[in-house]
Amino acid sequence: MNLWHPIASAEDLPYRHIFQGQLLGRELAVWRADDDFVNIWENRCLHRGVRLSIGRNEGFELKCQYHGWRYANRSASCTYIPAHPADAPVRTICNRTFSVCERYGLIWSGEDPTGDPPEVPLLEKARTLPLRSIAVNAPLNLVLEHLANYRFSLAGDPGNLAVTSANYLDQRSLSVTATFDSKQSTVLFFVQPVDSNRSVIRGVLSSSPTDSERILTLRHHSTELSRLREKVELEALKAPQIQPMTPTIEQVPVTSYEIKTPSSGRNASLRVQVLRKWVTAEGIVGLELESIGKPLPTPQPGAHIDVHLPNGLVRQYSLTNAPGQGSRYRLGVKLESDSRGGSSCLHETVKEGDVLAISEPRNNFSLRRDAVKTILVAGGIGVTPLLSMAHTLRNNKLDYELHYFAQTDGHLAFPEILQELGDAVAPHLGLSPEATSKELAALLVGYKPAMHVYVCGPGPMLEAARRIASEVGWPDAAVHFEYFKNTIEIDSSSSFEVSLARSALTLEIPSGKTILEILRANGITLMSSCEQGACGTCEVTVIEGDPEHQDVYLNDSEKAAGQRIMTCVSRAKSPRLVLDI
Amino acid sequence: MIKLFDYILSVNCYKQRLIMSILDVPFESVPVDFYPGREHKSEEFKKINPLGHIPVIDDDGFMLRDAHAILIYLASKYDPTGLWYPIGSPEFLGETAQWMLFAEGTTNTASAARLHVNLGYDFDIESCRSGAHQLFRVLEEHLWFREQEDLDWVCSSEHPTVADIAIFPDVILSEEGGISRLDYPAIRRWTDRVKRIPRFTVMPGIFPAGDAR
Repeated sequence: MNLWHPIASAEDLPYRHIFQGQLLGRELAVWRADDDFVNIWENRCLHRGVRLSIGRNEGFELKCQYHGWRYANRSASCTYIPAHPADAPVRTICNRTFSVCERYGLIWSGEDPTGDPPEVPLLEKARTLPLRSIAVNAPLNLVLEHLANYRFSLAGDPGNLAVTSANYLDQRSLSVTATFDSKQSTVLFFVQPVDSNRSVIRGVLSSSPTDSERILTLRHHSTELSRLREKVELEALKAPQIQPMTPTIEQVPVTSYEIKTPSSGRNASLRVQVLRKWVTAEGIVGLELESIGKPLPTPQPGAHIDVHLPNGLVRQYSLTNAPGQGSRYRLGVKLESDSRGGSSCLHETVKEGDVLAISEPRNNFSLRRDAVKTILVAGGIGVTPLLSMAHTLRNNKLDYELHYFAQTDGHLAFPEILQELGDAVAPHLGLSPEATSKELAALLVGYKPAMHVYVCGPGPMLEAARRIASEVGWPDAAVHFEYFKNTIEIDSSSSFEVSLARSALTLEIPSGKTILEILRANGITLMSSCEQGACGTCEVTVIEGDPEHQDVYLNDSEKAAGQRIMTCVSRAKSPRLVLDI
Repeated sequence: MIKLFDYILSVNCYKQRLIMSILDVPFESVPVDFYPGREHKSEEFKKINPLGHIPVIDDDGFMLRDAHAILIYLASKYDPTGLWYPIGSPEFLGETAQWMLFAEGTTNTASAARLHVNLGYDFDIESCRSGAHQLFRVLEEHLWFREQEDLDWVCSSEHPTVADIAIFPDVILSEEGGISRLDYPAIRRWTDRVKRIPRFTVMPGIFPAGDAR
């Protein structure tokens, strides 16, 4: 059975600190996030192995000091790699995490511990007093032996050591009770096996003395335990030396470096339960999804998931949470007047407690964190991915503005989150298309290098924003956008040939069939999501030939370059395309 | 302007750069080829400091050597608040002097171990390391009890003093000398606090801290 061990005291984890710990030879980076969650991780960055304990606790992410890789609260998933600012890190880059429990003012963990940390009825009271922890260069058993003979005095009388009696609770903890006249005091000692030859004594006094005696009592135990340490260490020096433990450092799975062979089509590997559903604005419901089973992967800002609806439809929704903020997914869904069954199903049929199948989050709208200033422009429900971006930028103390275009105050989704973001949010209400363009022109003026704008909203607004940005000098590479849907009328009348360079296969694409469909029919697996040219999931690299783009995912320069193609809608102008698959 | 006879990797020179940065005192760094050139042992440099070590400052003709003495001088002269070297209070001043002398100990143990490892100095490395651990245990207990009284610094004043600046570099670079700080959580928290002093500056091997409240 694997045991729980104390690894730190609660007061070792102040705001925005990273504690360096060790248990059974394994080094740990321990940090409390701004939501109070205590993270216990392998103390090494997956990139170059540098200790994460010298990094920065940024509230909801930990940032490695060496090359700035960021890892999310709770999941330890890598959320950002500064050397690749435009790319979303592969989600499987994830550090090893360890179980955590906070009890009796101590932080407990272990190597896959079973059951619960020890329960001590004597400590189930409000007023206990953790003693100063004492690190000892001696093995656990030797420390325990000496602790069994620990003597101390009662509060306020350090001169007189009382008679004590010891009781073992288990193989690494014991209680020592001192009796002097009619008074009693009990200390619980939990000994942490740091390594084969090193331990930490973590004591908790079962009753807190009065304020005036508190420091005196703490000093008395600190002194007596330091004295005990001297004796133990002398004895340990005489004993034959024991080799330090060698914990196994798990290799990062090879799949983390490679792009996984995607399962064909739309995956739905996760099951979630609708924990909460509420009306967050006029015509918009909020949905909070909680995992059934394994924890949900950490979403990166801008990510979306596929939701498989009870009526068989599959729809994409952006996640509004920033990395590290909560262990659930939060969506916002607008009831479309022309709903083809997606939004109406989520509004009318799905209720709290229902189970849904969803895909793992994908990020085709990833956020750079190296901009000198970021402008977020939301139209209506397009605010959802921008909320996670806004939170991330705020947490990273980066300069940003969130412009939110909506009909009225009552149409602003997630008002509680907007309030949290404060002055960075500028609502623009009730504007006509012309007035919207005017407003966009005003806020997009003054482009400087290393500024970036992210736009999400209805098609006409996106078109206007992209046109205006280009007119006032924004390069395509600085303008990022995400469409809800592709409103281009898809022309599938052409027929052409597709050569697959890596699969050594040539296929005929007849009119009426998409590249994606023909690939699938021939056993070539390719991931997809929206299947209408909006999300970017089924993208493939073009080696040769002239694509006929019919998607709204690529920007104009990307389309002109002709190096990428959305296989769900786009086709070929040339008789032949050579694709890198 | 103050001239600092300086070597980028020297902890004792860094202590001067740190206090001058915090006090916003402009200075000119005069590089001394400490390693591998041993310029500080040259006849030329011994005219500046006959003891043949750095740092030395030249403040408009006033020459001063020895890291902890220079810290006292700079704080006394350039800190208008009088908090970094609290001349006004005999108790605080005494405490500051006590911990400045403690810093002589950390320099001669922890930083000596670093010189041995990094620059090949012929010191008894085991005695440097065990000496450093003895001092760190004392500092750990001291700082832990300071926190119990809601105090942040080595002296009992509410404001940091030159004693924090004198001890911090020896401690924060100890791992370069093979001295782990894993057993000293209160010391690690204190190093975070030092790093959050306004206008804190770094040297190779020392990283800035993130923001806190």
